[in-house]
Amino acid sequence: MAAESTAASTDPHAPGNAGKAPAVEVRGLSFTYPGSGQGVQDIDLAIAPGEMLVCVGPSGCGKTTLLRLIAGFLQPDRGQILLGGKDQAGRPPRERECGIVFQSYALFPTMSVWENVAYPLRVRGVGADERRRRALELLTLTNLAQHADRMPGALSGGQQQRVALARALVFEPRALLLDEPLSALDATTRTIMRAEILRIQRARGIATLMITHDQDEALSMGDRVAVLRDGLMMQFDTPQRLYDAPDNEFVAGFVGRANLFDATVAGDGTLRTPFGAMPAAAIAGAAGVSAGAVLRMMVRPERIEPAASAENGAWSGDRGEAGTGDRGGVPGADPSGTIWPVKIIDDVFHGATRRVTVQVLGAASGGASPEPLVLETARRSPFDRVRIPHDAVRVLSSNAPASTTSSGA
Amino acid sequence: MPRWVTTGYLVYLALPIALLLLGSVGDAWMNTLLPTGFTTRWYQDVATDPSFRRAFVTSLTVAGATCAGVLLIGFPLARALFLTRSPALRAVARVVGQLPIAVPALVLAFGFVRVFSSDVLPWLGSTGLLIAGHVVLGLPYFLQTVMADMERLGLPRLEQAAESLGSPAWRTALHIVLPALRHSIFASLIVVAALSIGEFQFSNLVAGFLNRTYPVVLLQAFYGATGFACAATVILLALALTASVAGAFASPRAR
Repeated sequence: MAAESTAASTDPHAPGNAGKAPAVEVRGLSFTYPGSGQGVQDIDLAIAPGEMLVCVGPSGCGKTTLLRLIAGFLQPDRGQILLGGKDQAGRPPRERECGIVFQSYALFPTMSVWENVAYPLRVRGVGADERRRRALELLTLTNLAQHADRMPGALSGGQQQRVALARALVFEPRALLLDEPLSALDATTRTIMRAEILRIQRARGIATLMITHDQDEALSMGDRVAVLRDGLMMQFDTPQRLYDAPDNEFVAGFVGRANLFDATVAGDGTLRTPFGAMPAAAIAGAAGVSAGAVLRMMVRPERIEPAASAENGAWSGDRGEAGTGDRGGVPGADPSGTIWPVKIIDDVFHGATRRVTVQVLGAASGGASPEPLVLETARRSPFDRVRIPHDAVRVLSSNAPASTTSSGA
Repeated sequence: MPRWVTTGYLVYLALPIALLLLGSVGDAWMNTLLPTGFTTRWYQDVATDPSFRRAFVTSLTVAGATCAGVLLIGFPLARALFLTRSPALRAVARVVGQLPIAVPALVLAFGFVRVFSSDVLPWLGSTGLLIAGHVVLGLPYFLQTVMADMERLGLPRLEQAAESLGSPAWRTALHIVLPALRHSIFASLIVVAALSIGEFQFSNLVAGFLNRTYPVVLLQAFYGATGFACAATVILLALALTASVAGAFASPRAR
């Protein structure tokens, strides 16, 4: 309550510094476009001062709607938007003091670069000399000072992007809103601009909401990431936790690649997967689940370790009698991981890594075609076995057998 | 074969103009294929004729006022029609765009005569009504050109960007939108001016005796000397041509 906008932030980039008043806060925000079911439902999020929040999701997930609501171009059906602790209900975009960078840049075509940047100061009645000085200061920050007197049409896409960024920052807004800022750029420029946007955002220490459909951008740029789908918040977390501990199957599949499969808890304490059995007790989230429950599981491809059968003992904790043991999949054989023999069915070279699709031999799939397992490895030599460390296996959700008829397939 | 057709067409197009030019400087044109002699007296006659002088001034005044009216009504209207989400309004915009082709100026004139000859609105014959009619006739051309340019410009984003930067609506219109649309506005206003100057059907029925426009007075000239009529027509042609050339120079940049 007492915290003003000038609150001294010791570490503005630390995600989720909950003690500080957020620069942007959204509470229970709902909006539906008239005549269509699309919009956003019950969105809660907060952006700390200096924090970079990336909102990511497939097209139509409501991420741009969220930005437009915060900017004031749309009025919410329900919920609150607070900027600097103040409720923005009914306030027009003009009074919200949000710097916005549009996908199309929306530079003013008849004004030179510096005039574009100085425009927010001009409408605020700042004198001509001061305007030019501050515009040049921002253009220096964005490495465009030498183009100050050019017209926007004479600049490249990346340069126009920098002008838009400078223009959105020059009036010291409460927050920076970036609407798919990189999607109109070519791949090389996009990589450069990722770093540039982060550098400039850090330099100004401004709370930022960036919208993107690119999960790679979200993971690499966000202090925190909000994943949206069909107008609903699927998960709001740090990039690391989104990747390592997704809350649900959608996030698991959308952020990075994932092997997703169902597993049934059997009475003997094993977890029956489409590939073979695993000890339920060794897997976090599966231990203690009553028999008959069906669990949705995830393993990241790079966590699966390949090895040739000749390399017995390569894994720490490999069972002692490994030499004779080709009975892969026996639970309890390795306390920290399960080993299965595999056949390679697809092998794609990506330079630093290979993406290999394998089929687990002797998989207990009960007649159904056995599911393939995808792994990613830097290893170049052939292999015929994989080890899945138990801490690489995540339970995403469970269907308790209490209500549903659990017909073990 | 195609070359013959093209040549024939050009001759067909240029012949009347060439004959007009010859006739306007020919001393006499009686029972001969081409006029004989050379004189500039027809032009002097036209220049000193009080009704032609008045008509010339009226035409320029009406054209100028029509352009001002089209801009004042057309710009906000174009913006509103362009930005609207209402399907009904969009349909109206499309219909308005087709109006000059579908509805002859004569129909509009009859409507005006009907409405404005009443005791309630006795404005028939006033210059204001003449201008109002020309605005109606010119507006569709302005709307079509300027709305196409708004599309190219990405008007909604531009306005939103300005608004997010703190710019009030009037400021955005004055400092950003109008300057950005200046080429298409200029080009379409030239078309409107040319249209107004050459317009006959509507003006002939609606103009009063003292505010007849140039083309209306021109019709009278053909009851008199041939050379005089030719010279008067050439002046109108020159005026229209000036507008066309100016428009042609303005429009490529208005794309």
